Amino acid sequence: MELHILEHSLKVASIEKEGIQICTHGLIKLAFLASKTRCKFFSLTETPEDYTIIVDEEGFKELPQSEHISVADATWVALNVVSGGSNTSTSQPIGVTKIAKSVIAPLADHNISVFMLSTYQTDFILVRERDLPMVMHTLSSEFTLFRVVNGETVAAHNLGVTNGFVKPKLGKLPRPIIHPLSSPSNMFCVTSLDPDTLPSVATLLMDVMFYSGGQKESGASSEDSNHIRFFSFSLIEGYISLVMDEQTTQRFPNNVLFTSASGELWKMVRIGGQPLGFDECGIVAQISEPLATADIPAYYISTFKFDHALVPEENIQSVIGALRTESAAQ
Amino acid sequence: MSGSKPDILWSPHHPDRYVICDSELGLYRIGPVGSAEAKAGTLPLSEETAATLLAINSDTPYMKCVAWYPKHEPECLLAVGQANGRVVLTSLGQSHNSACKELVGKEFVPKHARQCNTLAWNPVDSNLLAAGLDKHRADFSVLIWDISSKLSPETSVAAEKIRLSSVDLDSSTVVTKPLYELGQNDACLSLCWLLRDPKLLLAGMHRNLAIFDLRNTSQKTFVNTKAIQGVTVDPHFHDRVASFFEGQVAIWDLRKFEKPVLTLTEQPKPLTKVAWCPTRTGLLATLTRDSNIIRLYDMQHTPTPIGDETEPTIIERSVQPCESQIGSFAWHPSSQNRMVVVSATNRVMTDFTVFERISLAWSSTTSLMWACGRHLYECVEDSAEGVESMIEKDIATKMRERAQSRYGHDTVQVWRNHLLAGGKDAQLKSLWHDLFYILSVSHMKQCAEDMELKLQGNVQSVVYSGIKNIVKTTSGTTESRRCWIGSDRQTDVLRYHSEERCLALRLCGWISRGTDTDVENFLRSLEQEHEWERAAAVALFNLDIRRAIQILNKGAMAEKGDLNLNVVAMALSGYTDEKSSLWREMCSSLRLQLKNPYLCIMFAFLTSEPGAYDGVLYESSVAVRDRVAFACMFLNDAQLPRYIDRLTLEMKEAGNLEGILLTGLTKDGVDLMESYVDRTGDVQTASFCMLKGSPGEVLKDPRVQCWIENYRNLLDAWRFWHKRAEFDIHRGKLDPSSKPLAQVFVSCNFCGKSISYSCSTIPHQGRGFSQYGVSGSPTKSKVTSCPGCRKPLPRCALCLMNMGTPVSNCQGTGKSDEKVDLTRENKLAQFNNWFTWCHNCRHGGHAGHMLSWFRDHTECPVSACTCKCMQLDTTGNLVPSDSS
Repeated sequence: MELHILEHSLKVASIEKEGIQICTHGLIKLAFLASKTRCKFFSLTETPEDYTIIVDEEGFKELPQSEHISVADATWVALNVVSGGSNTSTSQPIGVTKIAKSVIAPLADHNISVFMLSTYQTDFILVRERDLPMVMHTLSSEFTLFRVVNGETVAAHNLGVTNGFVKPKLGKLPRPIIHPLSSPSNMFCVTSLDPDTLPSVATLLMDVMFYSGGQKESGASSEDSNHIRFFSFSLIEGYISLVMDEQTTQRFPNNVLFTSASGELWKMVRIGGQPLGFDECGIVAQISEPLATADIPAYYISTFKFDHALVPEENIQSVIGALRTESAAQ
Repeated sequence: MSGSKPDILWSPHHPDRYVICDSELGLYRIGPVGSAEAKAGTLPLSEETAATLLAINSDTPYMKCVAWYPKHEPECLLAVGQANGRVVLTSLGQSHNSACKELVGKEFVPKHARQCNTLAWNPVDSNLLAAGLDKHRADFSVLIWDISSKLSPETSVAAEKIRLSSVDLDSSTVVTKPLYELGQNDACLSLCWLLRDPKLLLAGMHRNLAIFDLRNTSQKTFVNTKAIQGVTVDPHFHDRVASFFEGQVAIWDLRKFEKPVLTLTEQPKPLTKVAWCPTRTGLLATLTRDSNIIRLYDMQHTPTPIGDETEPTIIERSVQPCESQIGSFAWHPSSQNRMVVVSATNRVMTDFTVFERISLAWSSTTSLMWACGRHLYECVEDSAEGVESMIEKDIATKMRERAQSRYGHDTVQVWRNHLLAGGKDAQLKSLWHDLFYILSVSHMKQCAEDMELKLQGNVQSVVYSGIKNIVKTTSGTTESRRCWIGSDRQTDVLRYHSEERCLALRLCGWISRGTDTDVENFLRSLEQEHEWERAAAVALFNLDIRRAIQILNKGAMAEKGDLNLNVVAMALSGYTDEKSSLWREMCSSLRLQLKNPYLCIMFAFLTSEPGAYDGVLYESSVAVRDRVAFACMFLNDAQLPRYIDRLTLEMKEAGNLEGILLTGLTKDGVDLMESYVDRTGDVQTASFCMLKGSPGEVLKDPRVQCWIENYRNLLDAWRFWHKRAEFDIHRGKLDPSSKPLAQVFVSCNFCGKSISYSCSTIPHQGRGFSQYGVSGSPTKSKVTSCPGCRKPLPRCALCLMNMGTPVSNCQGTGKSDEKVDLTRENKLAQFNNWFTWCHNCRHGGHAGHMLSWFRDHTECPVSACTCKCMQLDTTGNLVPSDSS
């Protein structure tokens, strides 16, 4: 397996719902006019609480300074797992589950906080730049490490972190789930679209991103209080990924969104009662390890305040069950 | 291919059909303009060709890429990759083809939708269609579909699960199970099957180039690189692959896949297409965005780049097929260097043939060869005798002929050299006569010490420095007014005399000896050569009208003589110095109609005012020497140098060899010769002429050295080795500094001293190698041991005698003085005794023995030695082409 350390220096920010209008200019530019910026990594996730922005330094310049925006005080680096040379063609569980044991658990064991972003195309594991030597040290046994420099992939060498820096924890500790979980009722779709067709649906996407929070949500919530407002858009290295609930997909014209042949739908598990912060580690591991054990595919999207896991709708009951057991075992 | 980005595909089997795909597919047939003109709707592609639209297919929206089925049957089957990753088989204008019908409409659907970037049919196993898709977190990006696969039960189960897109899916034509799935969690941007093995697929993945082997799909060879777009195999070298990234093309050698063997110069705009020419090896065409040119890279001379250090040379050039910006292009599959270009907008097409570069080579003889495309042309000089007179021969031919006739080697009668050169060239004739007079005058001066000369100092250099310098120093000029010879009538013509003018006249060849102004000898020689008009003119200028008339009469009576000369003589006899006479008036106007320049200047002389002889001096068809001699006689001290300077300049600019008379063999002369060589390329004449310049300064001139070296090289190139050697000897005599130093020494095996060196230090043992039998005097001296250490010299491998022993069958002449009799026999005898050995096996012996051995053998004469000495000598097998 190969682990690619991407060259983007990322910022994670939160924009309050009431402050969104001062940012729309920059956000629209980042999302729809990629050729006008030098931004290569942009992600916008709307939750009921706020908008979470993950953007590289070039893109960060497009956002205004405002008291409505809070920025996590670290620079983040994205890691990407590539199957690489040894190409096992057996069908694997997809997404976070695949890397749960190899990446997420070891990092949790070394007290390295991670921030996850799953997209239609791949999973990004964000770690703080200052943790990078430790990350490389931890993962160098499992992975061939590569760094991306100017778009060219070059072998990365261990940055001189010697053994005994931090002793790995011996044996497998139980990892109880500490945060409360909730599962909204609406179903989600993870999809993408052809960048060439993006202009044709840009107004629709803007509407979904910035204006549909109000009346639609209220209408929906009246019939189901357990309904959650959640939308994610990312444009990373030219690839578009979208996460939206099923009702929203209906608003798009036919054949624009990429859909899988099986047309799978996903349900959400929302983690955290209080905002989780950035320092606590092991949260992703707590969720992903039981899923990996049960061989259930999942997406995992971290936001500024809470984490969100997406699991196949048919598995939601067993997932909730499994996670509850973990939590109860505590 | 979303509207703005069209592409072209040539039919793999119909040389006249191609498909343009933008928002729809259009099938065109290309044909000559004439045959299609009747039909409406033909589009002109070039001056000769036009295209007809045969069919349009707009069944497949969201096209991203298209690939044409490579086999004959079914023809015109296209695979279209769509924006959602589906691959659809479709066809154009083939509605009644049953073989096609089964396949058309078939769809291949990936598990997760994303853009299909590229398609590639397997060229051998044409059922296999590889599709390269964008990245999906859990899916494969390279899917290889089997287009003949029947629908399996499991795919129909899968079809049940389709919910979102069930509307447009007819389960009977949908295939969802690919034959191979490769490249998990990666993106594939370009694909091509390798020609060296149809089981190998080269894919440009997200950040690497990967080669997948269908026999073992769990393994792949890959190299990390940015250049992953547009991978394409060179159809002529199956290991050579091109790929690109933004503006840069990388060329890969699959046998050395670690890094590109070369990268082409980066273009400012991103590339959109890169394609190898299928009809010519090593020609790569590239197109960048928003450009109206196609850039071609010719790797013709570097089929297999070897090693890291050798950066192969690439010839880069651009072609502009049309005015507008180019959307795409496609090479014609069989027509040489031809392509069709489609514009970025409006679908304007152009049929275009890249003109092949022409490479040209001169041979050292006169033939010329050039290659263009697959044609090789040779141009040889027409040697037919009939046209010889019409067209001047090439200078190389002339020089070869002259070299063979020993041109330049007549050192006694120097003027005869122009006869050796063929005797047809007036300039050469003048040149060699000039040199003859210069040499004879200087020679005479050396011999005749008794001559009273004011020109003390360096007599010789004055003679060599030409008339221009001689008249500059003129002093003590006397004037005389003389009568017409044979009459007591006084002329009003002033004639000037001085030592220098006299010397100049001698250099002109008019007078032969001393201060005597008698031209009778000269006139006689002219009469002998039947130069009647010239002789008459010379006689007239010496104020001897009667003699002039006599000469003209003689000329008229001579065999093949011109009777008109009598008429001229009559006119001449009517001469009167009356200024306003009818004779004068008529002569001065009618003389211009005389064809012969000498007759013309005769009347010009008689009718002009004293001291104003422009009619004579600027008559360019009169030989320079005659005009100069005339000037020396009739121009005063102020006019003469001015006239000579002006004439010199004129000669120098024209490169006219007659001017050597004026410049002599000085730096001026080299300048003149330079413009002559520039004009004619005749380095042979230049070399021989400058060698005559004894002062030596001219020989040091780098231009002269350059001519000489070039002439020697030419002789070598013609394999005129004997001529070259002769030239070197000739040169060594005239220019002692050019004699090469000894370059080869024979050293003793025991003491290591040079045997010639050690004996040259001991005077009483004679000179050089002569005592080793080399001098051709076997009886006189015979040294078979090293003079330094007294150890014996090695033995000849053939006769087993010690070296130094003369060759037994040599008929030596007994004369040791080699200068006396250099007969061919004698020279050979000397060489036969020479030492020679193979540089490889170090065996050798007497040169004569070795020569006769290797006439019949290729191997070394020493019994245990298998060295193929003669074959190692590449020039040894060449035969000189001059016989000497």
